[in-house]
Amino acid sequence: MKTTTSEPPAIRELGPSPFAGTKLVGELRLRVGNRAGKAIATRQYHQGALRILRPHYLDDTAQVCYTIVNPGGGYLGGDNYGIEVAVDEDASLLLTTQSATKVYKTPGSIARQDMVVRLGPGAVLEYVPDQLIAYRGASYRQFTRVDMHQDSSLLFCEVLTPGWSPDGKLFRYDEVRLRTEVSLDGRIVVLDNLLVRPGADSLDSLLFLQDYTHVGMLLAVDANIGPGDVERIRDLAYAIGAAQGIDVHLGISQVSGPGVAVRALSNSTEAINAVLMGVINDLRHHLRGQKPLNLRKY
Amino acid sequence: MPNTPTSPTAGHLLTLLQLSDSALPTGAFSHSLGLESYLDTRAVHDEASFTLWLERFLTQSLAYTDGLAVRLAHEAAGGAELARIDALVTAAAVPRQIREAGVKMGARMLHVATSVFPTPELEAYRLQVQSGACSGHPGIAFALGARGAGAPCADTVAAYLFSTVTSLTQNAIRGIPIGQNAGQRVLRAMHAQVLQTVEMIFGLDLDDLGAAAPGLEIAQMRHEHLRARMFMS
Repeated sequence: MKTTTSEPPAIRELGPSPFAGTKLVGELRLRVGNRAGKAIATRQYHQGALRILRPHYLDDTAQVCYTIVNPGGGYLGGDNYGIEVAVDEDASLLLTTQSATKVYKTPGSIARQDMVVRLGPGAVLEYVPDQLIAYRGASYRQFTRVDMHQDSSLLFCEVLTPGWSPDGKLFRYDEVRLRTEVSLDGRIVVLDNLLVRPGADSLDSLLFLQDYTHVGMLLAVDANIGPGDVERIRDLAYAIGAAQGIDVHLGISQVSGPGVAVRALSNSTEAINAVLMGVINDLRHHLRGQKPLNLRKY
Repeated sequence: MPNTPTSPTAGHLLTLLQLSDSALPTGAFSHSLGLESYLDTRAVHDEASFTLWLERFLTQSLAYTDGLAVRLAHEAAGGAELARIDALVTAAAVPRQIREAGVKMGARMLHVATSVFPTPELEAYRLQVQSGACSGHPGIAFALGARGAGAPCADTVAAYLFSTVTSLTQNAIRGIPIGQNAGQRVLRAMHAQVLQTVEMIFGLDLDDLGAAAPGLEIAQMRHEHLRARMFMS
């Protein structure tokens, strides 16, 4: 543990750090723009327990894919992480993770991640991380702030799962908060402030998890998502959910922006991923004529 | 809890009673706020299961949405702060019907409050809503009306919470259905819960505004396509 309080550097093209004044265990700052017809990081900075892998192009579009890596292995009590992502005009970024984010026991404390996103006119961000695993006694807060333009496009999702003990029993974490605030041209349009407190049993969890263990969320904000798209996405999500061979409890609704929000409860990461991936691919196809997402993870 | 002195508080007490009255024409009787989906799946089907649901709804949802909005609006120093609370609490209603319910009931509460208990703050908020700078929210209009009458913040939050709990209980009496006396027993059981929730709300901050439980949100979203609905949300 360092005791010196060194201010994060102000980096040219990245500007002053939005995390100045907070001691971060890991920090990542990424700015993506179009160069020679393809999106690429025009500036990046990382320190501590966050890194980024080299860029990939997963299809025949100019969209660049970056993968966030946490070499530290997991989040502990008192840990603060900061991620800043700027996508410049007309550039498209797919941001994912190398593996699940694990939040371990945080006795008397919390682990926290702050993410600041700026999307320029015509910019696209798809944020599709691996699941977040919260272990017994874990408290985690994730604060995401997105500033976008009328014609930029955002897709953001998370899957939250409980940790497993060595004997295969599910742990109940204490509390997870995923707060995502989206502003369009400076006006707040969606505040997706998901709170999950599993409690001791399914009665405690009547409004949170009911009898389920896993939670999924997806939020898409794009001027071209209309009421008809929301109906189509609902039908699609329900159909994929029904085909999972395990109960997937789903809610889909239109949000301001406009956009669409998906909520999923189930007992399996794979079942929730199948539904969310179906929605992601539908949106990619209808909004951008882009092929289904293939993250080629191994 | 603030104590209850003699005559000078009568004015705010009567204002709170009137604003909390279920006869106040805000349209609350047509909104179940997700309850109807639990009736549909029979998860809520009698007095006991409704009491449990209502207690969870109050402490795990309403506290973070309207309850915290009432407190923050009562404490707000000016129009810019109110606009921020209005924007956050409206944007936090992710299920469409809940957002629409807030805007509808907000307009009606604002109309009643400005015509019956006019204050400069309420008039300024009405203009913010009229210009589109704010969406309008029943909790904010309620808080401004109550503050104008000199009601302390904690009493204002308690009155608002109990008023919502009362509307939902009346909807449950019709929707489950349960008897009128059962409804009164549920309401009596909520007294301690409301007071504890007020205390809890005073420990929250702006980041907590609109915190939402996923199971409840799914119920609120699925209400959009429930068959044979009695309620608009």
